[in-house]
Amino acid sequence: MDKRLRNALQQLTASDPESRRRAMEPFVRATFAMFIRHLHRYLGNEVECEDVLEDVYADIWESPDHLRGIEDDRRLLKTVYLYYMRKRLREVYRRLNRRAYLSQADLQSLMAPDLGLCDLVSQEELKQLLHKMLGKLKARERRAIELWMEGMSNRAIANQLGTTVGAVKMLEFRTILKLREMLKEYSRESGRED
Amino acid sequence: MPSTHREIQELLADYASALRDGSLPTFLKSLTREEATRIHDSQDFWEATEVVRLMNSVGFGDRLVTPDVGLFISRVDAGIASRMKKARASTRDSSRSHVNLPKGFES
Repeated sequence: MDKRLRNALQQLTASDPESRRRAMEPFVRATFAMFIRHLHRYLGNEVECEDVLEDVYADIWESPDHLRGIEDDRRLLKTVYLYYMRKRLREVYRRLNRRAYLSQADLQSLMAPDLGLCDLVSQEELKQLLHKMLGKLKARERRAIELWMEGMSNRAIANQLGTTVGAVKMLEFRTILKLREMLKEYSRESGRED
Repeated sequence: MPSTHREIQELLADYASALRDGSLPTFLKSLTREEATRIHDSQDFWEATEVVRLMNSVGFGDRLVTPDVGLFISRVDAGIASRMKKARASTRDSSRSHVNLPKGFES
């Protein structure tokens, strides 16, 4: 863990609220990129991410006890997600539940799930892993996923592949399940499976 | 986004697009009762959402741009200041109400 972040964390768990407030600036500077990228996985909306993160940092200031004794980035991210981000993510979507047909439990699993197989893998490692997994797919499957990741709509992907939107959705679904199996295998091999 | 009788693969594709485009509330509101049940019952759907989140992170996480972290920090600080003010006010109120209690009624 970066020395600056370690110092900020130490001050952040002090009992005096003013000291914790002063420690917040270096803490935010050291963690903002990591936290917002993680939140983006669940929200997909930059503005929402910033709003949620603002509350997350204030919650951390108010009750930082969970962060005591943390000495590595991965554990920090895991703790912040489980104890602070999830609570705020649930609140974002709780108000929608009056008009949505998903049960509260399903809504929570979709929007603020438990940590998954590779949720704490670094961005760089994740990129390499996905690249490796895409290399194992059939050409058409890989192309569909790559086009999706370039930001194309399913209709545009269908045009590129010379097929229908329905067929593209089915292709994506099957390919994603294949990728899921590869992820499981990777987790087993690297000892990351829960 | 079609609104009725989507199969599970269509629901996943729509969820993935909504997550990518930052419009999850629209996806949630578009679900019918039958589709919500379909999602609930599909193990494949739940497993696939995890991969979709990772794909979203790899594909679009790096494009997150915050031009001014300093501005964000000042928003966080304002939030903290407001909470401190509230905490002080509530402490003052509770001590004041304690002081005003007649003798023998203090907790």
